Amino acid sequence: MSETAHYVASRLATTALIVLGAMLLLFALSALVPGDPATALLGPSATPEYAKRFIMEMGLDQPWYRRLFTFLGNVLLGNLGTDVLSGRPVTRVVADVLPYTFILTFTAIGLAVAIGVPLGCYAATHRGSVLDHVFAFVSVAFIAIPAFVIAIFLLLIFAIWLNWLPVLGAGEEGNWLDQAKRLILPTIALSVGWIGFIARLVRSSMLETMGENFIRLSRAYGLPGRLVTYKYALKNACIPTLAVLGMGVGRLLGGAVLIEIVFARPGLGRLMFDAISTRNFPVLQGAVLVVVLIFVLTNLLVDISYAAIDPRIRRQGSR
Amino acid sequence: MDRSLSRRAFVGASAAALSLASGARSSAFAQQKNSISVRIERDITALDPAFRGGPHDANVIRCVFQRLAALKLDGSGLELDAASELKQVSPTLIEFTLKPGQMFTDGFGEMTAEDVKFSFERFAVAPVDGKVSPYKADWSGLAEVEVTGTHTGRIKLSQPNAGLMTIAIGDCSGCIVSKTAVTTRGAEHNTKPVGSGAYQVVSVEKQRGAVLRRNSGYKGPQPAFDEVKVNFIQDPKTAELALRSGELDFAVLPPAIAEPMRGASGLSVESQPGLAFIWLGINMQKAPFTDVRVRQAVRLALDVDQMLLAGFNGKAPRLNTLIMAPILGQWKDAPVYKRNVAEAKRLLAEAGQTAIKTRITVLNQPAFQTMALVAQALLREVGITADVDIREGGTYWDAGKGEAGKTLDMFMMRFNGKLDPSFLMQWFTASQIGIWNWQRFDSPEYDKLAQAAISEADPAKRAEIVVKAQQEMDKSAAFVWLTNDVAYVVRRSTVKPAFLPGAIDWQLEQFARA
Repeated sequence: MSETAHYVASRLATTALIVLGAMLLLFALSALVPGDPATALLGPSATPEYAKRFIMEMGLDQPWYRRLFTFLGNVLLGNLGTDVLSGRPVTRVVADVLPYTFILTFTAIGLAVAIGVPLGCYAATHRGSVLDHVFAFVSVAFIAIPAFVIAIFLLLIFAIWLNWLPVLGAGEEGNWLDQAKRLILPTIALSVGWIGFIARLVRSSMLETMGENFIRLSRAYGLPGRLVTYKYALKNACIPTLAVLGMGVGRLLGGAVLIEIVFARPGLGRLMFDAISTRNFPVLQGAVLVVVLIFVLTNLLVDISYAAIDPRIRRQGSR
Repeated sequence: MDRSLSRRAFVGASAAALSLASGARSSAFAQQKNSISVRIERDITALDPAFRGGPHDANVIRCVFQRLAALKLDGSGLELDAASELKQVSPTLIEFTLKPGQMFTDGFGEMTAEDVKFSFERFAVAPVDGKVSPYKADWSGLAEVEVTGTHTGRIKLSQPNAGLMTIAIGDCSGCIVSKTAVTTRGAEHNTKPVGSGAYQVVSVEKQRGAVLRRNSGYKGPQPAFDEVKVNFIQDPKTAELALRSGELDFAVLPPAIAEPMRGASGLSVESQPGLAFIWLGINMQKAPFTDVRVRQAVRLALDVDQMLLAGFNGKAPRLNTLIMAPILGQWKDAPVYKRNVAEAKRLLAEAGQTAIKTRITVLNQPAFQTMALVAQALLREVGITADVDIREGGTYWDAGKGEAGKTLDMFMMRFNGKLDPSFLMQWFTASQIGIWNWQRFDSPEYDKLAQAAISEADPAKRAEIVVKAQQEMDKSAAFVWLTNDVAYVVRRSTVKPAFLPGAIDWQLEQFARA
């Protein structure tokens, strides 16, 4: 078995354990959450017999560990359960919102990388310059301001004052231009903090790498400065950034809830938020499983990619 | 000629293109629109009349399905819809005749009396797959719907139900579904409903809302707009921005958001008394509130006007009893309690309670939280120390139920109302203790009056009974009535909305161009 194959296999095994652990935790915690799901979902219209039926349909009359086994058994058959309120399969409910979450998460991360990495590189290579100080100030400000505050300001400026971009939703189905227009402001709002964070991270990693012996040796050999900076230093400085991006994707998948609420966009974060607020456990379980799966798979990809960049990590992993 | 594009020229051209694009967008909005966009504050759950999720679903359902007769916009009575005739033969018998040729969408055929029977009986009398509707109380007293012909039938009651026309037949629970569509589509009918009303559902998407399009087969009055976009917008601030930007045409918003929109270009803001009731309830079965003097002291210690000023910027009207205008049975002479610290202290001393420690449980909504804080301060002055227990929906709605309800002290509650007094009264009977009667108000006299109010067909006599019932509630001092809420309707000036009093129940098919 090659080093890489062994590494991937060990990471996949860990991934399965993480998913199992996350679901175990979710089911155990959901048993502790106070509040009657039938009342939370149905409000005053819930007659006692309807509420009882509801509880049974959600399987909440069973102990949590039995529900977990049933759920995992169904998952293996591709069945995430049924949203008892609408009667729709949870797979459909999740599949309806998943594309919106994907596109928002990856455009936001993409934008953050596209802007944050060059800013970080520039700041590292021009350490102590005026622009370095300006970038430092702006980056910290970007990190500190909550995304939803930026979202409100963006809406006020671009949707109300300038009237250039729309406020609501994710756009009409099949109308790509409309969907793209409605993606601009949420993407910016979500990526601003990450731009600052990535810029700071790349700067500090670059500075650390540029002080290492192999960089000094490269310079001593007379290699061009650009080659040393952008090929050798940046490549090594990317490893911590990649690790952070992996975590970032996970956080944004379920954590973009405020942005989704402000822009009235569908998304997994909102789906989970609504599900926990109303104790809609079948939907919550299905959505959490999907988020955990995407999160661990993204991190697996990240791990593999930085193992590809740095052979030392690959060797450590295979041991 | 030099055809190269300079940087300055590029920037100039981009700016011109952007301003043109923005201008084009504005002029597009200025044109007369053939579709309207409205906001709902909860996601669509089920577009099935018997299993709807709440008023947000009902507002879509009412324009997709027909009823035998529909409530008039002023709530003063019914006007015929799917029926050509609807006759109350006796307190327990109603006869109907359907208009012929009313077709269900998607090829599900003509509406017949069999569909009416199925639609009404599935609530409780003959539930499909044993699924009893959570709205079965709307059809309380229904024994059977007898089909006497293709288009004729008789609604038979086991006991009189004076609210049946208003609560069931004329409202969402009276919507007529296609028996074949419900049985063949199953759960899919929740998102792909088959109706015969003015609009049909084109799409329902999770977290987005629904798109409705004019039903070409509808025989009744044609709606003014070809398309209605029903947008689920959770955050009222987003709804405000969407209204200001022209993306939204109609929304009901909280006062704090709607008030500043007065005078905004192209928008119209109107406020009107709500049809919900908000009150502070006291658990009568929990010491020290078992003593009526303590409850009376709480009522006298509170200043309702001050609480409303804090919770609703003083924009919501004060409520002094359960039944508000325009519902039958208002108690016009209901006492308006004024704050009286000395009397409250005297009552507490008389009851031997000079240092009470208690709790006010509220939902985590700004108006309730603010009112609870004011109440806390007011109660402190008479020697009652109250903690404010703020809860999110999941735990709040469970606070007064079952065993948990026995430990509840005081709470603030909001219920949506309907245009019939019995609907409002039903939550306070002894049978609701441990369910929705969180005061644990146990009055055999009230229960008797509530039952009599349902059975009494004569409006004058019924009003008298309802007033007596409210007097019973007042005697208990377990209710500090706060407000019937206020509805702020914000709309584009070019759209004329249609809704019943209180603006909770909309009639989307009657929205028109202003």
